[in-house]
Amino acid sequence: MIWSVSISLLGLLTLSIPVGIVLFILGFGIDQFFSPFPLIRGLGQVVWSSSNSSTLIAIPFFVLLGEILVRGGVAERTYASLDKWFSWLPGGLVHANIGTATMFSATSGSSVATAATVATVAMPQAEKLGYDPRLFSGAIAAGGTLGILIPPSINLIVYGFLTETSIPQLFLAGLIPGLLMAVAFMAITALICWFKPSLGGSSRSFTWGERVSSLRQLVPIILLFVVVIGSIYAGWATPTESAAVGVFMALLIALANGGVNMEMLRHSALGTVRITAMIMLVIIGAYFLNFTMASAGLGRELTSLLENSGLSPLGTLFLVILLYIILGFFIETLSLMVATIPIVVPIMAGLGYDKVWFGVLMIVLVEMALITPPVGLNLYVVQGSRKSGTLGEVMVGAMPYVLVMLAMVGFLILFPGLALFLPAAL
Amino acid sequence: QAEELSVVGSWSSLPLYKQYEAPFWTETLPGAEGSDFEVSMTTFDQMGIAGGDVYRMLGDGVFDVGMTVADYTVGDAPELEGLDVPLVATTADDARKMVDAARPMVEDIMKERFNAKLLAIAPYPPQVVFCKDEVSSLDDLKGKKIRGSGRMTTKLLEALGAEGINVAFSEVPGALERGGVDCAVTGAGSGYSAGWWEVSSHLMTLPLGGWDPVVTAMNMDKWESLSDEQKEMLQTQLTEKFEAPAWDAAAGALESDIACLTGNGECAAGEAASMTLVEPTEADTQQARKILEETVLPEWAERAGSDWAKRWNESVGKTVGVQVPL
Amino acid sequence: MFETIVDVLRRINRLIALIVGAVLALTVLFILADITLRQFGHSFGGSDEVSGYVMAFVASWGLSFALLELAHVRIDLLRLKLAQTGRSILDLIAISATAAVTTVVAWQCWPVLAKSLERGSRANTPLETPLWIPQSIWFSGWVWFATASVLLLICAFGMLAQRQQSQFENAVGTATETEI
Ligand code: NA
Ligand code: NA
Repeated sequence: MIWSVSISLLGLLTLSIPVGIVLFILGFGIDQFFSPFPLIRGLGQVVWSSSNSSTLIAIPFFVLLGEILVRGGVAERTYASLDKWFSWLPGGLVHANIGTATMFSATSGSSVATAATVATVAMPQAEKLGYDPRLFSGAIAAGGTLGILIPPSINLIVYGFLTETSIPQLFLAGLIPGLLMAVAFMAITALICWFKPSLGGSSRSFTWGERVSSLRQLVPIILLFVVVIGSIYAGWATPTESAAVGVFMALLIALANGGVNMEMLRHSALGTVRITAMIMLVIIGAYFLNFTMASAGLGRELTSLLENSGLSPLGTLFLVILLYIILGFFIETLSLMVATIPIVVPIMAGLGYDKVWFGVLMIVLVEMALITPPVGLNLYVVQGSRKSGTLGEVMVGAMPYVLVMLAMVGFLILFPGLALFLPAAL
Repeated sequence: QAEELSVVGSWSSLPLYKQYEAPFWTETLPGAEGSDFEVSMTTFDQMGIAGGDVYRMLGDGVFDVGMTVADYTVGDAPELEGLDVPLVATTADDARKMVDAARPMVEDIMKERFNAKLLAIAPYPPQVVFCKDEVSSLDDLKGKKIRGSGRMTTKLLEALGAEGINVAFSEVPGALERGGVDCAVTGAGSGYSAGWWEVSSHLMTLPLGGWDPVVTAMNMDKWESLSDEQKEMLQTQLTEKFEAPAWDAAAGALESDIACLTGNGECAAGEAASMTLVEPTEADTQQARKILEETVLPEWAERAGSDWAKRWNESVGKTVGVQVPL
Repeated sequence: MFETIVDVLRRINRLIALIVGAVLALTVLFILADITLRQFGHSFGGSDEVSGYVMAFVASWGLSFALLELAHVRIDLLRLKLAQTGRSILDLIAISATAAVTTVVAWQCWPVLAKSLERGSRANTPLETPLWIPQSIWFSGWVWFATASVLLLICAFGMLAQRQQSQFENAVGTATETEI
């Protein structure tokens, strides 16, 4: 079943049918060919319960937060400041992309929203300064994925909910791997551009005075981080509610910057609805596809694959990782998590793996899924904010960062403390 | 020729599914002598559907057999709340009697509301109360913020003068620690394995959240398409090999879970915690009945209609010694 | 004429999107008020539940806006390699598939609302919200999405028949420049 679905998926996507619509069509196909039951009668109920979600409302909130930061001028100043700090490295502004994405990840729980925010500020610069569009946009797509590893994180909330693991602990566990991965993204960028300088723009250097004085441009974003995360750890807001706190705080900051007017609010609202609708059609379609696949026995296939593999715990872990890499090519990340967590996590916990640690590992794998073709929401979002060029360029540009993520998976296995140190210490 | 059944189980992470539902449907039933049943099984959480939607889909024939917590589905059938009235059954034996008394009612509800045939009712472990501060009686819950689940439990908390708060399971330890809630209700076993004892000190064994019975039902059209032998075999197997063992285990489970949480007795699951056990007094029981009869049940009778309340009085009410004033 | 229809659709949808955005903003305020009240030991109760309904509203009524803005993701690797005729064929396939699927989905969403109406279903929460209220808002959003898709499909055929190539691409092509 998995193979026929994958091949039909590729075919329909190539026809340039909208991704969300393709997922529905595949669901109809499974209903038709793999299931003796009228699964389509469950369609309405699945659409209702996947949209009626007080967790997913964090997505439009985080998108709105990003829109306000962009249109209120905060994002641009953050970007400019990070440019001053990192542009001396081989690769120049590409590092500012990653740096900005890292900072926004700390205020946004959504990878897609993070990528959208950074893309909107950064993309005009690429064209102006003559960067290779592939690496430049790939770095944004990849940097944006940090949104779900560095707290807050919608995906960690979903993981915590499904596995009954503490969400604040998961958040703490994601912090060090997230920052480490940001550094690794910069390292590989520098390495690539050192070998092939034509990929990056001209490196630029600024005086220490300029750098230090630009630091105050980072104050708003740090303040935002403190408020969003603080509201969770102080026990004021649930992780989902903290998104609403973030929106309000972002608006206050934009107000203080004098960046708020009716036109700006109008654009922020329209941008938020556009991006949210684009994401939600894919997510709802993915939920329906997942529903039909589960009914037709995907769970059984997975369970028997994992339980009858006869592998050692480490072998099973590698099998699971391979599984996520492959499924991640084709399946949207939230529904991938919903479909597999109930099957995979109990098995892994039974083998002695820590649930918090495994959650962080899964997030890294899911981040990979966000930037691997053909189904990768971050690729789509970055392409959506470009004025020219093809989706293929973004896909190619994101490749090196996939390698970094693979390396990160290895590091997490070798040094579980990367994830488990903070939750244990605090 | 094999009779294929598509079965949707309850929460895949909980013992009821792992120890009873899955083995029964995938091994016991197909392997029973003379059985021609073949089963493909999944669970509602793996399908990504809400627990409250299981019977809606079952009635539509999206699958043949569905299992879910009856309390999740009372939005569609408020009369089903009568299956799990909190506080009236304090032991597994009492709970079983309560469920048996309610069975004919549930049978009719499943048929009328969901076009489904009732096959079995099995319990989740009883829901107990974890509190971070000292409590010694029901009265002490007054003014406290309590995480409960289920509509009737929330209404009961309100009637007790407490505030019902909605917190996801995984967020409870944090909420207890930071004072977002003072007490929280869940199954004793889940509370033990999720480490709630680390952030709370007192354990009340009052089933404030009821027993969360899980109802197994089959699409009515499918049921009617079965031969008499098949019906008979399915029902007997379910009752003897699924329902009975699940109930038998419930009694023992509560005892060992409480041992794990308080340290009084043998804990097989791991290291025992040292919570203070607060057992219900006679006064508590009296007070609980009073509140049920004066506030909670009359409100339910309004939601469900007085016909159902009357039927409840004659069956469950008689068994547990509580009456809805009509 | 077809161009006018697309234009009108686009304007209606922008208005809808603004309303959706405003409702989101109100929800932010509602949650903040609830958080603030909680510090003083009070709560509206049910902000969780209301957020869910708002999300269902956003995720149905926003869809047609994204459609008219050409924002729904399409993978254009093949499309960009084709000549104009090939591109137009793919665009027609895409909008036909969209119209067909959204119609089926809207159709299948009705029974959800119908059951809630028939049973008088109420949310399984202390608020006991009658489910038909949020569900009819959600359902009508899908009906509108399906309607807009079908209208767009008709316009696409009409524009092709009248050889209005640039209007056609503007209506059902892929976004080269999103300006909102
Ligand atoms: Na984040
Ligand atoms: Na992917």
